[in-house]
Amino acid sequence: MIGLVIATHANLGAEILLATEMIIGALSQARAVGIRKEDSVEEIRSAVAGAIDDVSDNEGVIVMTDMFGGTPSNISLAFLEPDRVEVLTGVNLPMVLKFFNSQEGLSLAELALLLQSYGQQGITLPSQFLNR
Amino acid sequence: MSIVLTRIDSRLIHGQVLEAWVPYIHANCIVVANDTVAAASFQKNLMRAAVPRGIKVVIGTLAEIAALFSSHDLDPLRVLLLFASSEDALRAHRLGIPFEALNLGNMHGGEGKVRLSCTIALDGSDIANLTNLEVRGPKIVSQCVPSDREQDWRKLIQHMGQ
Repeated sequence: MIGLVIATHANLGAEILLATEMIIGALSQARAVGIRKEDSVEEIRSAVAGAIDDVSDNEGVIVMTDMFGGTPSNISLAFLEPDRVEVLTGVNLPMVLKFFNSQEGLSLAELALLLQSYGQQGITLPSQFLNR
Repeated sequence: MSIVLTRIDSRLIHGQVLEAWVPYIHANCIVVANDTVAAASFQKNLMRAAVPRGIKVVIGTLAEIAALFSSHDLDPLRVLLLFASSEDALRAHRLGIPFEALNLGNMHGGEGKVRLSCTIALDGSDIANLTNLEVRGPKIVSQCVPSDREQDWRKLIQHMGQ
């Protein structure tokens, strides 16, 4: 199974995992890493490395981060490695739910691509398509 | 194939249904039998919009849904059938909707309801409805999401003190 790490500012990632569990039940091969103001780059790097290690098997890991250009993302990008670690920025709940619901038969690269598009589709402006 | 899961869920179509149950049972049709929602176009549109393309959605009154099942139009589909209450589930079975098992998903509190688990709270009339329904055949269990253990509903109410 492809593993999941969510790397974010503060506890956003851990809370997204809790929200996911509320909807689909207990999760496996998922970890959150939250950075705090006082953390050094080295501490964050080793937390991300440890989390990737924890959820890895031979199918690879997707690291979702909260924002392209932010520290969790910048540090995670150092771990990019074809077929082993893929990084996807702008994590949201639909993307995380889809991660657990669509893995079967997909390679790491295929899953990452699908989740990118699914995460984008998860952002909607309902007044554009609902008539009151 | 027709009905693969029948569930009482006071929230009807929501996250647990779409993200946990639909993929778990490979449903390709969601049927909501609810007189109130059937008459509320905004709520109806909202529910329809939340369901991924490729999954058929039917929202109707209990009577309309009963007629739909007796037409056998849904027979080729894998249907997830939703009711909002025990009363609707019982009425639906009396109207001839042919479900053989009933999942108690979310039945949240209200005045006079006794909370029996994290997601189930029942009152005397729920117990009466479910008892009457059980006599008619359906096996009744509680299971909020697929990874929860399925539990016989009688086990839930044994501590209710009646």
